[in-house]
Amino acid sequence: MEKKRTDDYEPGPIPSPRPLDRFGFVKQEPNSSPDGLTRGRPAHEYEREEGRVRKWRKMIGVGGSDWKHYVRRKPHVVRRRIRKGIPDCLRGLVWQLISGSRDLLLMNPGVYEQLVIYETSASELDIIRDISRTFPSHVFFQQRHGPGQRSLYNVLKAYSVFDRDVGYVQGMGFLAGLLLLYMSEEDAFWLLVALLKGAVHAPMEGLYLAGLPLVQQYLFQFDHLVREHLPKLGEHFSQEMINPSMYASQWFITVFSYSFPFHLALRVWDVFLYETKLPFEKLIHALRNFPEDAMDPDTLLPLAYSMKVSKRL
Amino acid sequence: MGSHSKGRNKSYDYSFKILLIGDSGVGKSSLLLSFISNLVHDLSPTIGVDFKVKLLTIGGKRLKLTIWDTAGQERFGTLTSSYYRGSHGIILVYDVTRRETFTNVLDIWAKEVQLYSTNHECIKILLGNKETERAVTREEGLALAQEHKWFFLECSAKTRENVQQCFKDLTLKVLEVPSLLGNGSAVVKRQILAQKKLDPRSSGTGGCCS
Repeated sequence: MEKKRTDDYEPGPIPSPRPLDRFGFVKQEPNSSPDGLTRGRPAHEYEREEGRVRKWRKMIGVGGSDWKHYVRRKPHVVRRRIRKGIPDCLRGLVWQLISGSRDLLLMNPGVYEQLVIYETSASELDIIRDISRTFPSHVFFQQRHGPGQRSLYNVLKAYSVFDRDVGYVQGMGFLAGLLLLYMSEEDAFWLLVALLKGAVHAPMEGLYLAGLPLVQQYLFQFDHLVREHLPKLGEHFSQEMINPSMYASQWFITVFSYSFPFHLALRVWDVFLYETKLPFEKLIHALRNFPEDAMDPDTLLPLAYSMKVSKRL
Repeated sequence: MGSHSKGRNKSYDYSFKILLIGDSGVGKSSLLLSFISNLVHDLSPTIGVDFKVKLLTIGGKRLKLTIWDTAGQERFGTLTSSYYRGSHGIILVYDVTRRETFTNVLDIWAKEVQLYSTNHECIKILLGNKETERAVTREEGLALAQEHKWFFLECSAKTRENVQQCFKDLTLKVLEVPSLLGNGSAVVKRQILAQKKLDPRSSGTGGCCS
């Protein structure tokens, strides 16, 4: 992501430029990141990346025109490529194609504008209170009332009106925030709708409905997976009275966008948007390999997909 | 995420469970961070629950405090309600600059405590955070606390004023209550494990397919 220039049209002190990582987050400790993403990358990696982007462009076609055709013809190729990670410059477009949100957008012209401008929401104050607390270390969301914060507010308010049963629940802001880093407000809104209402996937609104039924289901499944695949760890957790709701509820409520390293969260989103089956529970492997290489998506995702998950769960 | 407990050899005399509750945005997580790490910076909202562990020595006793930080939004009640169980101390936090967070102490949080807390002698502290441009006077806070036999304190997570004091006071009070001390030892662990097996939440969701 391009380093943001200080805005010369907004009054107020100019913040001192701070080093950002490639995704636009202010670096916590310069030059100490172990994820290999902030270090200078060798030239051949750039070339490989270029090659991948070319392949992807061909697969998608202009503005996504060839995508559906390609997916129908070669679903396994698409799946393999997505598991390797969608190129960052095409991520926003591809997410819209694979989530079904692009179709929703085209079927509902003017709806988003209506929701943003004319409707009022009971959650407006709750949303405002959280706006500056969502990805506070990302350059796009740092400026008070800046474009990032305004878009975030609009998307969340529009959704809280669109789906009054869900309204606004803390955690949704991280989903919306993640999406806004890759697409426009309106596109982000429809992707949120596609996810929660289930355009292609099973609807995920249960993450936020009263009683958080889907969160409870994931926690239950996750607990069983720990016990089944990591019995020693499961026993240790029991001894120490640790249950998944203590550490995993925030993973599920924010679909991993809240506390996971950002590059890993993106790769999780790549695969879970395409494969209608969620990879969440399989991420249990992160616990097995923790902490050496589990946070490297190229290690974690193949491992996760090699695991057999009981149909009962 | 919570810190790991240091050392395997139970290097403490008592282990206490402390719970932070109150409306969204009153500064529960900031108070906790301010207590644990001397750091003060902007935080994301707490999603679900979070916890921190702090070892300290008070009155010659080595104590392990496990402090549970909860999300303030009502929708998360289904996740946070189980953390009241077995608490030795509960800190009810409001923001002195936002009056509705104070009235909700009575309308919402006190009721939650009654409903879910299992230690009836559990120590409660009413804590007014922030202290600038106030909308709730000190006297009002004190009156509400006295009415419910809670302790009362005002503090600032930002300047860290009274933050250490709050946790220290709470811990000293817990140490004065014999029934809570009994719970602070290994007994409580077995109790909670037994309760967990009976918890309807951990069954009944089986058989779903995702």
